[in-house]
Amino acid sequence: MRQETLRRLISLALLLLLVIIFTVTTDSFFTGANIITLLRECSVIGILAIGVTMTIITGGNDLSCGHLMGTVCMVFAHLYHYTALPLMAIILACLVTALLGGAINGICVGLLQIPDFVATLSTQFIFTGLTYILAVRNEFGQIGAIQINNKTMIALGEAGPGGIYLVTFVFLGLAILAQIFLKKTKQGTYIYAMGASRKSAEYSGISFIRTKMTAFLFSGFCAFVAAMFTLGRYRSNEVATGQTFALQAISATVIGGAAFTGGRGDMVGTVIGVVFMQVLRNGMRKYGFTTQTQAVVSGLIIVLMLIFDAYYNEFMGKKNKKAAATLREKKVVNGNG
Amino acid sequence: MDNNILFEMKGIEKIFAHVHALNNVDFQVRKGEVHALLGENGAGKSTLIKILTGVYPKDGGQIFMEGKEVRLTSTQEAASLGIAVIFQELSLIPTLSVYQNVMLGKELTAFGFIKEKQEKKRISELIEYYGFSLGVNDIVETLSLAQMQMVEILKALALDAKLIIMDEPTASLSSHESELLFKIIHQLREKGVSIIYISHRLEEVFHLSDRITVLRDGKLAGVIEKENIIPSQVIRMMIGKELSEATASRALKESEKETVLEVKNLSIPGSFRNISFKVKKGEVLVLTGLVGSGRTEVLRAIYGADSLEQGEILVEGKSYQPGIKRAVASGFGFIPEDRRTQGFAPLLSVTKNIAITNYDSLSHRGIVHQKKEKDLGKRAVEMVDLRPANPLVAVGNLSGGNQQKVVLGKWLTRDLKIILIDEPTVGIDIGAKDEIYEMIEGLAAQGVAVLLVSSDLAEVLRVAHRILVLREGEIVREFKEGIVTQEEILMAASGFREEGKEEHNEKKK
Repeated sequence: MRQETLRRLISLALLLLLVIIFTVTTDSFFTGANIITLLRECSVIGILAIGVTMTIITGGNDLSCGHLMGTVCMVFAHLYHYTALPLMAIILACLVTALLGGAINGICVGLLQIPDFVATLSTQFIFTGLTYILAVRNEFGQIGAIQINNKTMIALGEAGPGGIYLVTFVFLGLAILAQIFLKKTKQGTYIYAMGASRKSAEYSGISFIRTKMTAFLFSGFCAFVAAMFTLGRYRSNEVATGQTFALQAISATVIGGAAFTGGRGDMVGTVIGVVFMQVLRNGMRKYGFTTQTQAVVSGLIIVLMLIFDAYYNEFMGKKNKKAAATLREKKVVNGNG
Repeated sequence: MDNNILFEMKGIEKIFAHVHALNNVDFQVRKGEVHALLGENGAGKSTLIKILTGVYPKDGGQIFMEGKEVRLTSTQEAASLGIAVIFQELSLIPTLSVYQNVMLGKELTAFGFIKEKQEKKRISELIEYYGFSLGVNDIVETLSLAQMQMVEILKALALDAKLIIMDEPTASLSSHESELLFKIIHQLREKGVSIIYISHRLEEVFHLSDRITVLRDGKLAGVIEKENIIPSQVIRMMIGKELSEATASRALKESEKETVLEVKNLSIPGSFRNISFKVKKGEVLVLTGLVGSGRTEVLRAIYGADSLEQGEILVEGKSYQPGIKRAVASGFGFIPEDRRTQGFAPLLSVTKNIAITNYDSLSHRGIVHQKKEKDLGKRAVEMVDLRPANPLVAVGNLSGGNQQKVVLGKWLTRDLKIILIDEPTVGIDIGAKDEIYEMIEGLAAQGVAVLLVSSDLAEVLRVAHRILVLREGEIVREFKEGIVTQEEILMAASGFREEGKEEHNEKKK
């Protein structure tokens, strides 16, 4: 069985196990209201995780997506507070900011050949700095949270059909689109190829810069969508928004089976990973675990998954070698003079 | 003019800085022919291939494709003429499917979407036409090596290749997988595709080829038609008669001294079987054989870099369990094949590199004695005659020969009983080679048992006291007394006896 298939089964089985445990041991887990809340809570991270998955499949990473989301939120707050621009113009400015942020990452990684990890760690600081520069201040120069009362924005945070929040539909819709892009388009295939073997991909005429740029622009776009729904939900903004989101998105992606080494993973896995992390958090909360304990448990699960990957690769490597060896031995026994 | 000729090179010249790599070479491939290109390392095979694939420009001569003169100035140009190379290291994307790999970079699309159905249909037609056992949707990493090669060949065929170059295609295949590949080659030939086949394994070359072109020292040594192939003559043609006496043959003598290292029945399935031999004090025992014969694997297993399935190792008569730490403590030295990645730390100085293997004597409770380390560096530089004689220079900045001297120096400063050396002079210029041979001889003279792996026959004959020839993981021949020639060694390594011609022909009939 391939690593992906096995990983998919394991994460699905774990998710199911968690759901069963929490359903049996608590009264408040498997209720319509809780499931809807749970899905709402993981959707913003999920939207970011879609972009992150894209970058991880190219063999990279995006540590800056949450920080970029924070900047986009602040661009909105800034323009909303200080200018009288129409809403559509503000949203357009937000989209441009997000795509520019993605493009900066794409240039650093693709054109300047800076490793993804270092490049996006650096842009984290740039995005955070910009957020502070743009922050809305009171007459004493102190940074304060601002209220957003625009009806359209508030509507983004509301529930849609079946009581399920709009953001959840957008998360799942975006995941489906991203999955189609990855599996059915030329550029999507190139994302896998680049991540699995840069040398072979480039030899086939695939552009490294273009592939990386595509992934980071996608991630930037996801940061924009995530920002809009975050604003809609909280109806306010502060400087700390999104600062921890990148790591959560990356964790969910890894749980879903995408490999840091590139070339593996997809959106189905990422959706499972995102839901898994949220179910875990939600259930632990019902048990009365503190946020700190929750973090420790989540971390341990990620470590276990990564250990599995490492051992699986080693084990499979040995098994393949053995199979080849047995074939050779057989040939010798059959006598090849 | 024979209009059955697909590709022709006439009077090809190639000169690198000082070396006349190709000197007036003619080479011709017919349509639907398997044409083997033979020659020892450095004979000019790869230079010729690089010219015909457009990697190197030629310095003289003419190239014709289907009767028209062509200029091959880039790999794309060669590809557009229908010349494709199957690389030794496969260039596939492991996580993508067969059809995605074959079409990679040349997808059929509409608005960016891949026309999957159309692509799959085209590829499965190709698979069927050539009779490959392969599914279009199979993921490449789940395939066997032979099937991966089929995918590589499909990539070439999808580009309408007329001439496919296979460079050591069986190097990493099992014999069963090789058989499959040979079947494919036959199918390709039947469909009119021409193949240039390069392999060290003479047996398969003789079995497969319609014609053989032999190169020697950058010149054409001869072209042989299938019906005229006589193994011993081809080997003689490859080696040539004009070799100087010093490297053409050597008088061997078995040492009478006590045994330092003895191995009994060593086996790692898939690499080698039932390897038994002794190395004596002050003796240079050479293990030689073709690519994939298991030479390097034996050495690595003795050192403890790979784990043994079965067998016993005795050091000075006492049972010894292989393991890298234990090996160093018991007086082993190891000079690996790939010195760049396994032999030294390029950014560190000569002194630091040499000190690495000596920190047991240089340090006390984890603190390195600075003066001792410095002295050791100076001593080692003198010992190996390093140029420049500067113990502080970073090893990465030295020439290949001097880098290898540092690697040797790491062990020379220790009290060695046994040294295991793997291909010590690959990529090293001739002057430095001799110095390294002298150092190896010096070690033997001091009483160190030397176990050396080499595929360079001139080198084998230059340093060996005794020679073991490996073939497909087994010792097939030992040369221990009297005069031995390159020819005899190559015959043994390729699986031919002196009367090889008859034996070979009978098998085919």
